[in-house]
Amino acid sequence: MAALVYRSVQRKLLRAVLLSTLAALLVAIAAMVAYDLALYHRSWIADLRTQAELLGRSSAPALAFDDARVAQENLNLLRYRQQVRAAAIYSANGRRFASYAIDPAQSFPALPEPDAVRIDGDDLIVFSRIINDREILGTVYLRAEYELYDRLFAYLGIAALLLVVAMAVAFVLSRRLQRAVMQPLLAIANIAREVTEKRNYALRAQKLSEDEIGQLAESFNTMLAEIGRATRDLEASNREAAREVSERRRAEEEVLRLNAELEQRVRERTAQLEYTNGELEAFCYSVSHDLRAPLRAIDGFSQALLEDFPADVPEDARRYLNRIRTSTLRMAQLIEDLLNLSRVSRGELLHQEVDVAEIARQVVQDLRHREPGRNVEVSIWDSMHAHGDSKLLRVALENLIGNSWKFSSKAEHPQIEIGLLRDGSKNTFFVRDNGAGFDMAYANKLFGAFQRLHSVNEFQGTGIGLATVQRIIHRHGGRAWADAKPGKGAVFFFTLESSAAASAGLRVPQSEAA
Amino acid sequence: MGLVIHRLLLLLACVALPAIALANRTAEAQIKAAFLYKFGGFVEWPAHAFERPDSPFTIGVLGADAVATELERVVPGRTVQGRPIAVRKVKRGESLAGLHLLFVGVAESARIGEMVGGLKGQPLLLVTESENALAQGSMINFVAVEDKVRFDVALPPAERGQLKISARLLAVARKVIPG
Repeated sequence: MAALVYRSVQRKLLRAVLLSTLAALLVAIAAMVAYDLALYHRSWIADLRTQAELLGRSSAPALAFDDARVAQENLNLLRYRQQVRAAAIYSANGRRFASYAIDPAQSFPALPEPDAVRIDGDDLIVFSRIINDREILGTVYLRAEYELYDRLFAYLGIAALLLVVAMAVAFVLSRRLQRAVMQPLLAIANIAREVTEKRNYALRAQKLSEDEIGQLAESFNTMLAEIGRATRDLEASNREAAREVSERRRAEEEVLRLNAELEQRVRERTAQLEYTNGELEAFCYSVSHDLRAPLRAIDGFSQALLEDFPADVPEDARRYLNRIRTSTLRMAQLIEDLLNLSRVSRGELLHQEVDVAEIARQVVQDLRHREPGRNVEVSIWDSMHAHGDSKLLRVALENLIGNSWKFSSKAEHPQIEIGLLRDGSKNTFFVRDNGAGFDMAYANKLFGAFQRLHSVNEFQGTGIGLATVQRIIHRHGGRAWADAKPGKGAVFFFTLESSAAASAGLRVPQSEAA
Repeated sequence: MGLVIHRLLLLLACVALPAIALANRTAEAQIKAAFLYKFGGFVEWPAHAFERPDSPFTIGVLGADAVATELERVVPGRTVQGRPIAVRKVKRGESLAGLHLLFVGVAESARIGEMVGGLKGQPLLLVTESENALAQGSMINFVAVEDKVRFDVALPPAERGQLKISARLLAVARKVIPG
């Protein structure tokens, strides 16, 4: 990885160096070659013109005095200049006076031209007039090698060679110099790789040079320190978070354990309570049941005393006996109510469809039958149905309607209403009267056993009725409560599951403990 | 057959040769006339040789009428060192004053020594066309070499006349007697 980076960076650097070297060399060579060729061109032309001029000057007398031999000798001197391929001297009338050529097959122009320099293929051609004493004596003709292209090609060859050598030198040099540049970079790259692999942020790059790379190393080290610090912080906070999580888990486990313990304890207590309750009820039942026999005996023998000895019992004794009998009756009633209460709490509920309105009508009919002298206006709503045990519901209604009947006895126009408020699956029944009512401050005592808000002298009663009602409603999964004002009557509410909800299988947990 | 052709050629030669000789003589005069004024371009005269800056370059001819005639024909329009050229036929015994170049024909070659004696340092280029003329004091002497007109140069008499003969001229001379 690091080696790869190194190699690629090195290659880039090398390429940059070689390219710049190449560019510089090319420019330099091009400039030098161009300069040299231009110089060659100019100097060669000047050289040849001088040559032609000299030839003209030295050949002027030869022309003037028609001495071709001298002219020829002059031309023959050109053999020391191999670049001159051919030369000729033309007389003033255009005749070729003398000529010279390296190649014997060389052809000459038929007629001379005026002063001229021109390039003819690979040759440079010069015509130069021979003037002596203002008289044109003739013309010198020179045909010389024009080596511009040869020189160009030679230069290109040299340039190619130079390029190869220079590039090789540049290559070797830059390789060596790059090592100095790359060494610190490579060191940093190695450290970076090690840091990545081992996650060791304590490592530091060595600062090998006082330049940008050195700065890079410093920055890298600073960054490493920063990362190391951040990582340590992060790890610390992670540990903290993990600790908190485990603590929370432990706390939750504790809570769960406590809950389970609590539930276990509740179950145990409930079982104990149920057991105790059962014992208590059984005791209560048996006591009540067993109490009836002596009570009947007391009542029976009291009655027997009154009936069998009408004359022997003095008036005071008769009054005492009647009071004994009244108390006995009250006690029997008390025992009956207790038994009822006990019965309500025991035994299985028999769930069935119950016509509450019909039961209410029967209860009211019994009450009218029992006290034909009372004139009470009773209204019962139609089609009130519920799901429950008809016997127990009848007991509840007997108590509630009986209470209303009893407490409205002192009203001027006693009124009792039995109705139903529907709210979804919940049915709230109510029994309303315009009787004595009560103070709501005592509403919490209303449903307790043996709690009476009125004296026995005011209204007859054992104080067990509402307790019985509440127990029945609770066993059906409902709730019972009351609303009243003293002297303005009272309303007793209770809720029961509608038959539809109950048949849908919604079973409300029953409060057995109550 | 061969004999007939031979005789015909002989006859032709007899008729043609004098004409050729005449033509040669005219051509020789032409060449010498041309050489004479061209010599002026390769020789330097002292300044006092000319009266005025625009004084003509005067060529005198003695005993060579053909050359004089030819000279008179070619010089108009030509110059020597920027000066017009004048031709003067010189008679025996006539003064040589004002002349810059004197050509003495073969007919008067006997008088060369006499004339050289009369020059007395006058800047006059003496050109001759007879054997031994250089020995008598001539400066340039025409000679015939393989049917061509060439010349020999003697520098001592020229130096005596304060004349500077260009080395370029010497280059085309057949023979140079150094000073």
